[in-house]
Amino acid sequence: MDRRKSNETTKSSTTSTVELPPPISASEALIVNALCALGLAFAFWIANTVYSIELVTHPSLTLFFIWITELPIVTLLYSRYRQNRKQCTYLRAVGRGVLGVPVGALLNFLGAIAVGAPVTFQYLPKTVNWALMMSVFTTIPASCVLGSSWADWRRIFAQTKPKGSIEYLICLPAHGAVIGAWFGAWPMPLDWERPWQEWPISVSYGTVAGYLVALVASLGFVLACGRSQHIKRE
Amino acid sequence: MSSISCTKLTLFSLAAVAIQFIGLSIFVFGFFPVKPLLSGYSGCESFRRPTCDNDGAANQSYASLSPDRRRFLYQEGSEIPPLYDRLVLMVIDGLPAEFVLGKKGQPPSKAFMEAMPYTQSLLASGMAVGYHAIAAAPTVTMPRLKAMVSGAIGGFLDVAFNFNTLAYLDDNLVAQFFKIGWKMVMHGDDTWLRLFPGLFARHDGVSSFFVKDTVQVDQNVSRHLGDELSRDDWNFLILHYLGLDHVGHIGGRNCVLMAPKLFEMDEVVKMIHINTLRNLENDQRKTLLVVVSDHGMTENGNHGGSSYEETDSIALFIGPKTHASGHSSSNHDTIFQVDIAPTIALLFGVPIPKNNIGVLISQMVDSLTDDQKLRALQLNSWQLFRLLQAQLPGLSCRNFPCDAFVTNSGPTISECKGSKEKLFCCLYLNAATLHDAWKAKVVTRSNSTEGYNSIVAAYNEFLSSASEWLSHKATDKPINLLVLGVAALVVSCLILLGVVFVIHKEVPAWETQDHDNYVKPWKIDEVFILFGILILVISMGSSSMIEEEHYIWHFLTSTINLLFFRKAIQSLEFNKAHDFLNSIKEQKNTSVSQISSLFLILFSGRILRGWHQGGVNWTNLPDISKWLEQAGNQYINLIQIASCAMVIIMGISVLFLMQSKTKVLTGIGLSLLMSGLFVLQHFMKHPDMSASYNKDANLSVQILFAVLGITTIAVVLVLPWIMPMQTPDICSRKNFYMSASVPVEIQNSTPILVLKDSLYIVGCLYITSWCLLQLLLQQSINAVPVLLLFIQFLASMLTFSSNGSCHKQWVEITALYNLGMAGHFALGNSNTLATIDVAGAFIGISSHSTFLSGLLMFIITYATPMLFFLSMVLYVSVKATIYPLVIKKGNSGEILKTLLGFPCLVPLTINSVLMTVYTIILLLMRNHLFIWSVFSPKYLYVCAATACVYVGICIVVVTVIHTYIVLFWLRKSFSISGKAKGTWWSSKLRTN
Repeated sequence: MDRRKSNETTKSSTTSTVELPPPISASEALIVNALCALGLAFAFWIANTVYSIELVTHPSLTLFFIWITELPIVTLLYSRYRQNRKQCTYLRAVGRGVLGVPVGALLNFLGAIAVGAPVTFQYLPKTVNWALMMSVFTTIPASCVLGSSWADWRRIFAQTKPKGSIEYLICLPAHGAVIGAWFGAWPMPLDWERPWQEWPISVSYGTVAGYLVALVASLGFVLACGRSQHIKRE
Repeated sequence: MSSISCTKLTLFSLAAVAIQFIGLSIFVFGFFPVKPLLSGYSGCESFRRPTCDNDGAANQSYASLSPDRRRFLYQEGSEIPPLYDRLVLMVIDGLPAEFVLGKKGQPPSKAFMEAMPYTQSLLASGMAVGYHAIAAAPTVTMPRLKAMVSGAIGGFLDVAFNFNTLAYLDDNLVAQFFKIGWKMVMHGDDTWLRLFPGLFARHDGVSSFFVKDTVQVDQNVSRHLGDELSRDDWNFLILHYLGLDHVGHIGGRNCVLMAPKLFEMDEVVKMIHINTLRNLENDQRKTLLVVVSDHGMTENGNHGGSSYEETDSIALFIGPKTHASGHSSSNHDTIFQVDIAPTIALLFGVPIPKNNIGVLISQMVDSLTDDQKLRALQLNSWQLFRLLQAQLPGLSCRNFPCDAFVTNSGPTISECKGSKEKLFCCLYLNAATLHDAWKAKVVTRSNSTEGYNSIVAAYNEFLSSASEWLSHKATDKPINLLVLGVAALVVSCLILLGVVFVIHKEVPAWETQDHDNYVKPWKIDEVFILFGILILVISMGSSSMIEEEHYIWHFLTSTINLLFFRKAIQSLEFNKAHDFLNSIKEQKNTSVSQISSLFLILFSGRILRGWHQGGVNWTNLPDISKWLEQAGNQYINLIQIASCAMVIIMGISVLFLMQSKTKVLTGIGLSLLMSGLFVLQHFMKHPDMSASYNKDANLSVQILFAVLGITTIAVVLVLPWIMPMQTPDICSRKNFYMSASVPVEIQNSTPILVLKDSLYIVGCLYITSWCLLQLLLQQSINAVPVLLLFIQFLASMLTFSSNGSCHKQWVEITALYNLGMAGHFALGNSNTLATIDVAGAFIGISSHSTFLSGLLMFIITYATPMLFFLSMVLYVSVKATIYPLVIKKGNSGEILKTLLGFPCLVPLTINSVLMTVYTIILLLMRNHLFIWSVFSPKYLYVCAATACVYVGICIVVVTVIHTYIVLFWLRKSFSISGKAKGTWWSSKLRTN
């Protein structure tokens, strides 16, 4: 099992020609994740106190606040860890991150529709804002760091084989957000007649919860990753 | 590596299926006791002594009596003058008797005493008599209303068997009153309107849907009260107040709204009673007010179970005059809820309903003479004795002289013991003998209170023991049977799981090159499929998840397909640098085709999901079918014709994807086209099937049934014989149905290729014919869903046939099973019995036949699960050449095991797991509030789905084995040694 894994990593390292970003230290990862989480909290706080809206009462507006606050934080933070530093400037990484927003939103939108999100016009703004939020959580870090490298995207999202600490920081929160959203949909058919059972409120709660849990988990992975590299180097 | 032989496998599976079947039958008959209910209505014969030969002919002559004549006959027959003229039945939903009468001799709490001043004063003065009326479980409104008006405790299957109507068809008081020409008025819970449609002269139904509303729901009843009380054209007024139940659901017994609500009810009682007194002064019409509740409530305000708090309902009889004095202290007597029906029947002089198991409340007839009181007891005994005769066939008259007329001076009273039959007969005889003797001594009667009391005691002994036995028979669930049934289901489930695990564990020879891939323990799709089954199992414990089950299936199915999507992307290569290898290019092609077909499946699935909103709670939300129905019928018809044409075109083109084109294939294609065109022509000619019933359309449907049936069966039987054996160049081809790389050795094993081809043709024919049949039978709005399902299954076959699909077989079959279940709900089905398409069950049937209608109903309802099983034939064919090594060196058993193992066992196992778990849940939930409205209907669907699995697997197995035997044995033996040996083979087969 272990041997096979190492086999694969060597294989892929020979095939991929891109230069890997320098490994990220645990404290740096902690700062990145803490900033992401704080941004989320800040968005909720702004929506709650300044505009006095909540996810339950104004879902699309709150979701809009979340993704608009989180977008610059995520883009600016993750662009620092871009691949191919020689060819790609910081600004360019930010630019491709912003370009990735609509693409990721479209993918998430289609995914949500496929598993059953309502398609009527009254739900359209909610779904769009939710998809934009999902996009910020899932694809933006990847598009900042990886750019348009299909092999890397495929490795991280289709095969879930991140290598290196920065890829853990991309891969785990993205998967956490998706899995959280998936679980967040389960209370919807129950007949409790609570306002938060509406699309996309419970799903958004699930997304945020999954994202936060995965942020913590990714820290653990980064720690483990750093230690193993340390050992290897010795 | 231990491997299980084919024979052993078959034996194990058959044993498991047999055990499952037995266990299911035991459980069903234990859980839903079918007690023989007497049909029809009591008539004049109920005033005559029960005789040996059950009177069937007597009913006839009374059937067409006018109401007045009937009333006169009843009056004469019963020999009891009616004590009252009018009846007001006031139902206070969910009122526990404890609130009014107190508990165990204690008065009710002070707040409640003060809340109902008028009622309490009536009770204290003896104007009202109150009882704790013990209700039977389930303590839910509709069954309890039925119990109150019929005196019977019904079973669930009685409801299920007349699924097309909610109307109450058994003998009951409301129908009896209707028959004697009473004018009836109902205000309140609309359950009454559903139970007795058309019997009420005036009505205003309120719905108990808005549980939060405690005010409006009762005002809607009370606003009619003044008007109704001022009229005198009615004889029977029903008022059903739901507010108190709603208060309970909101805040429980001690809710702050409870006392005001009780006061409101007290005001209603006061109003009616004062009106009664006024009427009595004016025109001497005597009105009886009966205040009852259907059930009680727990501390939290719930109900449905059988705790004392829930079953403690009230029965208050409030007459215009004081009931026999000295009874005010015995206000807290306990009766059964079913006793209300015979008491009211006897008070108003109508026959007691046939299936009544209640006993007359003797206190209510105290104002009658001794003669009349005994007559009332006698009538009640006769009715119960008739019911006993129906339930105990051993209670015959040969062995016991039940209707002997004893006129001896000394009536013999025997000590009663022995079997049930003997006991009841003896008790009845005792009472009857004493009564007859008493009647004979008319002259000396005056001083025989002693004799009178002994007769009453004898009657009461018979009545109470008979009633007790009958009610136990109706409610008791034989726990031994249930446990036995569940145990059998669990055993069979474990056997099936074990068998599947064993054949999954065998790492087959053809997988060795792929060993690395195989050994890796769990892939995400496998984990998810098992997790999905776990989620299904968990969700079955929640009533709203059962109501909205379609969401779950669609969610799981589309997630599985998204995971497949992800897996297809894993091998997708965009990098042009790698294109130098031809194989990679090929791989890319297959994964592109996989991705596009998965996209097609997801897209169709989403449309299917939006077609019918389905379920219970959100049925009124807009969906495509409602939108189309609004757009107009002509569009629906056009769409139906278009989708029919699409099904034909796609079916034929899929058939011709098989590239070894032969004359046989052309012939089959032509026959498919023919039957398709027949269906199309039918749609053109009869655009509106459901609305107009005419003979011509009926005939054409019958012809279509015949054409589709005969074509399919003929092809299945004949095809293996006429498939050409020589296919030398087959290996050089790459195509859809066989893109698996075929090694050179396979040329030696031509029969397997012919087998594959014939199964492919048969599979195509099966699903295309099935879809054509469904287009014919389903509502015309469902034409597009049928087409989309057809597309989904074909696209799945395309996905799974490609070389690159590295899913395990059980994963693919489970995904297909899920697709089938999601499609089942997409056609508008749900877990309530209301969505069964009853109208479709009569298409093409000229004379009424329960069997044919039932068959059609099954075909319509289980269209998609069946489509799944039929597509399994195609699946077997698609997978046939992937195992060349086994097929080359294996014997018949090995080959058949490889072909049929997973396709049969996986659906069987999934169904077994779901059914077993649901059976256990049903057992645990037997006291749940929704047991009769949600859980039991779902169980009927589970049972029908099991039947569908049996039928489907039978079809798959028979088709594959038949083709195999013909190709591998019969044709060989024919070609080698001519006909003689062939017949020998076939005879040997037959003896085997």
